[in-house]
Amino acid sequence: MTRYLVKRLGQSLLAIFLTVSTVFVLVRLAPGDPAKAYAGPFATTEQLDEVRRQFGLDRPLLEQYWVFLKGLVHGDLGTSFSFQAPAINVVMDRLPYTLTLAVSAILVTTVVAVPLGVWMARRADTRRELGANVATIAGQSMPEFWTGTVLLTIFAVLIPVLPASSFATWGGLVLPTITIAIMQIALISRLLRREMVTNFAAPYLTVARSRGVRESLLTWRYAMRNASVPVVTALGTRFAAMLNGVVVVEVVFAWPGVGSLVVRALETRDYPLIVATVLITSVLAVLVQLLVDLCYPLLDPRVRLGKAAA
Amino acid sequence: MTATVATTSPSVGARPSAVTPRDLARAGATRRSRGSKIKITVGAICTALVVVPVILASVLPIPDPSAQDLSRRRLPPLAEGHLFGTDALGRDLLSLVLHGGQVSLTIGLLAVTISGIIGVVLGSAAGFFGGWPDAVISRLAEVQMALPLLMMLLLVVALFGASLPVITFVIAIALWPEVARLTRSLVLVEREKPYVAAARVLGLHRVQILIRHVVPNIVKQASLVVLLLLAQAVLLESALSYLGAGPERPFATWGRIISDGQNYITTSWWLVTLPGLVIVLLVLGVNLLGDGLRDRPRRRKGKKA
Repeated sequence: MTRYLVKRLGQSLLAIFLTVSTVFVLVRLAPGDPAKAYAGPFATTEQLDEVRRQFGLDRPLLEQYWVFLKGLVHGDLGTSFSFQAPAINVVMDRLPYTLTLAVSAILVTTVVAVPLGVWMARRADTRRELGANVATIAGQSMPEFWTGTVLLTIFAVLIPVLPASSFATWGGLVLPTITIAIMQIALISRLLRREMVTNFAAPYLTVARSRGVRESLLTWRYAMRNASVPVVTALGTRFAAMLNGVVVVEVVFAWPGVGSLVVRALETRDYPLIVATVLITSVLAVLVQLLVDLCYPLLDPRVRLGKAAA
Repeated sequence: MTATVATTSPSVGARPSAVTPRDLARAGATRRSRGSKIKITVGAICTALVVVPVILASVLPIPDPSAQDLSRRRLPPLAEGHLFGTDALGRDLLSLVLHGGQVSLTIGLLAVTISGIIGVVLGSAAGFFGGWPDAVISRLAEVQMALPLLMMLLLVVALFGASLPVITFVIAIALWPEVARLTRSLVLVEREKPYVAAARVLGLHRVQILIRHVVPNIVKQASLVVLLLLAQAVLLESALSYLGAGPERPFATWGRIISDGQNYITTSWWLVTLPGLVIVLLVLGVNLLGDGLRDRPRRRKGKKA
């Protein structure tokens, strides 16, 4: 178990390090000059040079990388160009907003998708289920930026019951959460349906049924238990992906989270901020994935971590 | 019971059976195939509703997409011969959507083809040869699936510019792991079948066996995933152009049209809603089609009833 943890963490750290390094180099190779974004369109060449010197961008790439690595060891990711504050603090300030949104979206998703998926599996191929099935396909076919904007139009413009882009009140959380949840509910409930249908057809279930086990137990104890591993995996992956910033939804609702920060950082070529965002969100995503992996033995006692994880 | 036997229809045959046609019609397998038929039909109709007008965009009697008329700005749908209304510059929205759709669809189709080829080649190599090719390819796919996808796409588009080839390639790269994973699992099963061993006994080279015998057997199933990925590609492209990382020439694509229209949602709902509906219709159609084809009961090969 400990060996498994160490190995997993080691692999993850390596992956994060490689990702961050790639991003570090990529952003600096990209056309577009952060000095210009910072100094404004009317800056003289001398001013631009001065800004570049100040940001340390006049030095060779390798040297910049070395400085970055030295800072990284001390937990210092450099100073954000546009915020003039430690990049790590800028990201940390935004993180609670993204976390709130991600947690509420994943909660709503779980609460709706699990009963829906079970219902679809038990009523598989009936007329009503076909309707629900098509509806979930529609749910995963709607681009989030469109769903979000349409919801905004309906509930903030036509019938102004909910705030459009406010994060000051809890009401502001409703529309973004629904926007994210629609697609996630569709994906998760379809996955659950598929898994449950497979399990309903399995011989062990026929045996249990012939022994007289109640249908509700068959569904929730027998089939559910076996279907839970892939579903929990998917929920974990989705949640981890949301931590990377629900970019599109945050932009639509002007949500001050990590996602909209990334878009802004990319626009202004704020190198330290881009790198800091990638680093922090990947660390969080990896932690979530690890937690999910640690849940497997609880869900399915056949799973032995360390041996199975080859 | 005897009554049901007596009413058995001729289609079931003269053989005495307690299974009535009604039972057959209600059987799980029948319902499943009926469901998949409905999905395929509806999916095909939705897809055609979008694809056909998009292909015929330059032939249809609609105004030029770049013809501005500032006196006819933001007309509501159905006004003055503009089926979808006009945008903030007085351009015909339907025409914009259809011409933009040509770009979106081209990107989607090309991206899916490229990622399909990459995915099938790498996936079948990983599945068939095992060993280090498998390790390298599987890890690569894993790492990529763990990356913050949209962020990486934005980054690369920022790096190389928002041109058509770049966006196509970026989307293709984003989608290949899905195809590779499926192809690999299919090949793993196929590899153990007797015909592969037979081919080896006949002295065929391993690469030859893979290309001539194994791949043709899995390509049909793999292409089904590619169809479903087309939906993903269209969504991804529209998200990219919504965030400002989409192609501008020759025409603004769907995401861009929507993000432009977003400034006017308080007054002109159609600027966002209608182009979005077109995306939804297309993606829904493709998804239904793919889903229906996947659920369709397969004919058993070589097992005649």
